[in-house]
Amino acid sequence: MMNLVNFTNIDFDQLFGMNDNTNPLMMLIWILPIFLFVFYGQRIQLFVTSNEINKVIKKLDGFRSESRTELINYVKNSLNPNNDPTKKIDQFLDYFTIMPVDMDPNGIVDKVRHTVRSREDYTREHVKLLSPEINDFELTKVQTLLEIASSLQMIYKIINHMYLTAKKQNNYPLILPLQMILPFIMEQAEAMRDAISPFKLGQPVGDGIGPMVVGKMMLNSPKESIAFQTSLAKIDFEDRKLFLLKAEGPGSTVGRPADALESLVSDNKLDAIIMVDAALKLEGEESASIARGFGAAIGGIGTERFQIEAIATSHQMPIFSIVVKQSVKEAITLMTKDIADTADNVRLQLYDMIRENTKPHQSIAIIGVGNTGGIPQ
Amino acid sequence: MNFSKTKITVAFTIEKCPKCNALQKRKFSEGDALFAASSKCTSCGEITSIEKIFGETLDE
Repeated sequence: MMNLVNFTNIDFDQLFGMNDNTNPLMMLIWILPIFLFVFYGQRIQLFVTSNEINKVIKKLDGFRSESRTELINYVKNSLNPNNDPTKKIDQFLDYFTIMPVDMDPNGIVDKVRHTVRSREDYTREHVKLLSPEINDFELTKVQTLLEIASSLQMIYKIINHMYLTAKKQNNYPLILPLQMILPFIMEQAEAMRDAISPFKLGQPVGDGIGPMVVGKMMLNSPKESIAFQTSLAKIDFEDRKLFLLKAEGPGSTVGRPADALESLVSDNKLDAIIMVDAALKLEGEESASIARGFGAAIGGIGTERFQIEAIATSHQMPIFSIVVKQSVKEAITLMTKDIADTADNVRLQLYDMIRENTKPHQSIAIIGVGNTGGIPQ
Repeated sequence: MNFSKTKITVAFTIEKCPKCNALQKRKFSEGDALFAASSKCTSCGEITSIEKIFGETLDE
């Protein structure tokens, strides 16, 4: 007869040596992990964290190649290029910009503006060479898609570099800042990935709320080009003269509002500037909420804002702003219903602001700031 | 098993009739641009203009 083990009669105290403090095996079982975590704790953490980061980097790599493929396919299918554009596009994606030295900050804004505009001009001219039939509308789309693809490429390269350096050096503290910034980086990268489709289809994005508000006010009035990719219309409102400025839509561009304002003040006496723009909301703030304020509401690298502030200061004009709050993702992806629904309310608040802050017979510049993709005037 | 629903964003176009102010919602079609002339108004036959283009996120 086979003897069956009686599992109901196990003495756990005896098994784990709880009654016997001198059991050497049990001493090892308790003490070994302590030594293991003291000496190899960081390495274990490095292993766990690097596995998580590796997954995110694979995702970033996917975004990068997806945006590159989308761009190449768009150029091939929509623009009838002379030759295969792949090599040329790959060259564009690797282009870098070296910002001017700022040890002596005197004149740095002009230098930055010059560097950034030179890059834009270079890209524009070379995109034109891809296809002889390309029109301005398509050109701005390809430029924007190129910016998205090269930004995603740059993000991937930097994050991958930080990760590989930390891993190569087996340096856990080096991987910590990477772990901390990754959620923010991923938020931006996912937003950029989602931005490809609306820009390709010529749909308005959240950032376009400013041009949308001002563009509607410009309808049925004669328009003129006042600066590069920037449109001007003049209308009368309750005995005041309004100079309406926005980027020239429906191409995907932000125009050059500061140059336009400079040109405007050289020929006209302005009494105030009102800017309408999208603004990044703080966590907890409601999306599509409207806020009014003082000062130049314009994002970007800072050169446009500097120029607008300089013009306002030299002509002693106040700058008022109305902003529509939104997240990073909402700003660069297809405009949400909530944001689109605020347009009429923003326009009413803009009229209120004009009435409250200016007098009849005064002249006011109204600037609709933001990307005007899918928004004509 | 994956229980999370995939979210997709669908683009819509709102057309507004300048005569009777009737609003009509339809799916976005390529070439639509804000303020551009669009289809005929279903109520009065006037040519509508595109008032809004926006995206709505739906669970798949």
